[in-house]
Amino acid sequence: MAWEVGLLALLSTLIYPGIIFLVVIALFYQWVDRRFYAKLQNRYGPIYTGPRGILQPVADLIKLLAKEDIEPSAVDKQIFRAVPVLILTMPLTALFMIPITGTWALASFEGDLIFIIFLMTLIAILAFLGGWSSTNIFSTLGGMRAALQALGYEVPMAVSFMGPAILAGSLSVSKIVQWQASHGLWAILLNPLGFGIVIVAFLAELERIPFDIPEAETEIVAGWQTEFSGRKLALIRLALDLELVLASGLVTALFLGGPTGPIPIIPGIAWFMIKTLVLVLIFSNLRALFARFRIDQMVSGSWKYLVPLSILQIVMLELLLGWLSF
Amino acid sequence: MKNLSENTFSVPFGPQHPALKEPENFMFTVDGERVVDVKIRLGYVHRGGEKAFEARTYTQGLYLVERICGICAMAHQLCYVNNVEALIDIEIPRRADYIRTIIAELERIHSHLLWVGVAGHEVGWDTLFMYAWRDREVVLDLMELTTGNRVLHASNTIGGVRRDLTSEMISRIRKGMKLLKERTNYYKAMIPKERTLMKRAVGVGVLKPQDAVALCAVGPTLRASGIKRDVRRDDPYSAYDETPFDVITYDGCDVASRVLVRVDEILESIKILNYALEHLPSGPIAVRLPRGVPAGENVSMVEAPRGEDIHYLKSNGTDKPERYKVRAPTLANWPAVGAMIKGGYIADIPIVLAAIDPCMSCTDRMTFTEVNSAKSWQWSRDELRRYSLKWRGK
Amino acid sequence: MAMQNELVKSLAKKPATLLYPFEKYDSIPGSRGKVVIDITKCIGCGLCIRDCPAFALEMVGKGPTCDMKWYITRCVFCGQCVETCPRSAIIQETTYDLAGAEKAALVIEYKRPKSS
Repeated sequence: MAWEVGLLALLSTLIYPGIIFLVVIALFYQWVDRRFYAKLQNRYGPIYTGPRGILQPVADLIKLLAKEDIEPSAVDKQIFRAVPVLILTMPLTALFMIPITGTWALASFEGDLIFIIFLMTLIAILAFLGGWSSTNIFSTLGGMRAALQALGYEVPMAVSFMGPAILAGSLSVSKIVQWQASHGLWAILLNPLGFGIVIVAFLAELERIPFDIPEAETEIVAGWQTEFSGRKLALIRLALDLELVLASGLVTALFLGGPTGPIPIIPGIAWFMIKTLVLVLIFSNLRALFARFRIDQMVSGSWKYLVPLSILQIVMLELLLGWLSF
Repeated sequence: MKNLSENTFSVPFGPQHPALKEPENFMFTVDGERVVDVKIRLGYVHRGGEKAFEARTYTQGLYLVERICGICAMAHQLCYVNNVEALIDIEIPRRADYIRTIIAELERIHSHLLWVGVAGHEVGWDTLFMYAWRDREVVLDLMELTTGNRVLHASNTIGGVRRDLTSEMISRIRKGMKLLKERTNYYKAMIPKERTLMKRAVGVGVLKPQDAVALCAVGPTLRASGIKRDVRRDDPYSAYDETPFDVITYDGCDVASRVLVRVDEILESIKILNYALEHLPSGPIAVRLPRGVPAGENVSMVEAPRGEDIHYLKSNGTDKPERYKVRAPTLANWPAVGAMIKGGYIADIPIVLAAIDPCMSCTDRMTFTEVNSAKSWQWSRDELRRYSLKWRGK
Repeated sequence: MAMQNELVKSLAKKPATLLYPFEKYDSIPGSRGKVVIDITKCIGCGLCIRDCPAFALEMVGKGPTCDMKWYITRCVFCGQCVETCPRSAIIQETTYDLAGAEKAALVIEYKRPKSS
């Protein structure tokens, strides 16, 4: 029966809840994000392709895939070609470690939270490499900003991730979800501050307003993505959409109890979708609210406010746990 | 990328760049994220407009002059008709004066609302952009109702205006102004409260009052440095001598002040409009004139939404001008931009540039600006020819 | 966060933008649109052509038997020809969607009916 188990594992990696499923919801969330953002701004948003424009992200992806792929002669070819592929694999790999259908993820081991943090750092480094290998002045600036921004948000984000991990006594995302399910308690209740910090840090990770500094359109064209076109750009755009799924999925798993809920009849996948959708709407709403920060304001603000607050959250949590066990 | 020294490199900004809606080139020398120096190169949209006037009759010139700038079309046209009417030496009907004032103020509202939106866009706040432009539609619809065109109104003719305001139009304008007043008051209250926007605007692109005067800044840029100067008050034209209004000044000298000056000016414009609609005299809207303009020369000034607009007209008695010269407000503001940008951040470039509400196509003509010494000069054709001969001789 | 209330209000509102090709806005009365020449009134004086700032009108033939051509692509919709015409043969309609994909369709000819 070994081959059947193997086939099942292969199918679940490739189709559900693996690559194809993730790509589909990534494109769906892109549509949700665009529609909601447009609605907030009193416009329609995508409406033409498919019912209510739901196929617009697919159309955009196909269009980009079919377009001419221009490679400037001055670019550093190997890195320039590798970056789009690698940047797509990072969020996909990380998503395998997040429970989507039940309390267990596709891949789960002790310490996979650290691995996810590592993968997210790699995304920033890849953005930097992409900008650097383009040798375009705007790309270089954008890449440097991406790296600099990562210095700002990584630390508070990682520290805030520790809150749920301390509660569950484990560094595995699946175990944190199981702890929340078995205690019937969402980690957000004990980590409200950490939740807020993670949302802000993810806005920066996702390069969204007010932290769209590495791709600030009016300043440096498209930042580190400036020179990418055609298939490469399609992969990068898909990677950014997957990052949105990763961000909302990770926050769901760590703070909102993952794909479990108080009503047992509703399957895990539905809980996952509901919770991540709410998070996507929160991200879109925040995107519509703010003006873009400057890179120096972002980094210094992050170290001045986010880092102390995230440490404060951990201290408070420890004190609370100490008091409870006492 | 060219290395000037170890730490600095130059970043080109334009002629094609998302922050610039029109092509111009700026070479920034930057050190990390800080701007050390800037060189401005104008002339990418030089269209030979002034020469084209010499080949067109005064009537055709009416519509050419609007095309200097799509947004301050009325200001340029007003300047033009003031020039021509001064040469013919006629008094136009008072009602026409009032209608011109009304259209000019509607245009100012449209231009300033547009600018508030662009300012939001430049700092990445597209939501403000969408809302400001949505509200601007109200003015554009009123423009279409009163003049027939949304922009490039073609509302003036030599000797008056082309369309009368009916009582239905007046009530529609009143209604529109009520709505806009409410919206502008909302922006006025909301903008200083939005901290991310203020973080990008307060203390950015500082232009000290003495610099503003020395570098000949005009319009809202100058008034945001606390200097009370406005052609409408200092040298009134049309009906501005009768309409009461305040010249808005702020003394923050930064981008935030420039935003607030413009928002307040919208409110002032609404005040002027309401007064003008109230006191609109009856009578004809235009006088018939013979074709042709007597020989002579004249200079006229108009306060365009972006600042003081100066036109010079020389006539030789035929039906075409001999020389027409335009000094658009944006041109006067370029030297000040150099002073504002130096020492700032790259990220602040778009908003500082946008803060003077630049209109490149207004500006591009034979003018030389040396930003380092903030000196600008213009050459006559002879001087230019001499220079070209000298240059070729090299 | 200063704009949050406004954003929430917008969720319930109909979008301010139009779905243009499917949904057109009613043209405002007096809007300067399509130039229509009543060729039977035209006396072929050529004044409109002299005043047109954009060279958008053309006379085919001469005098009272001429035909007129209007180039949409050149017209700036100022309406000067309407004012200039001594016989009020030119009027401006409010039609605004005049764009087309074929260049030939962007020249409108106003031909005199063949007199018997």
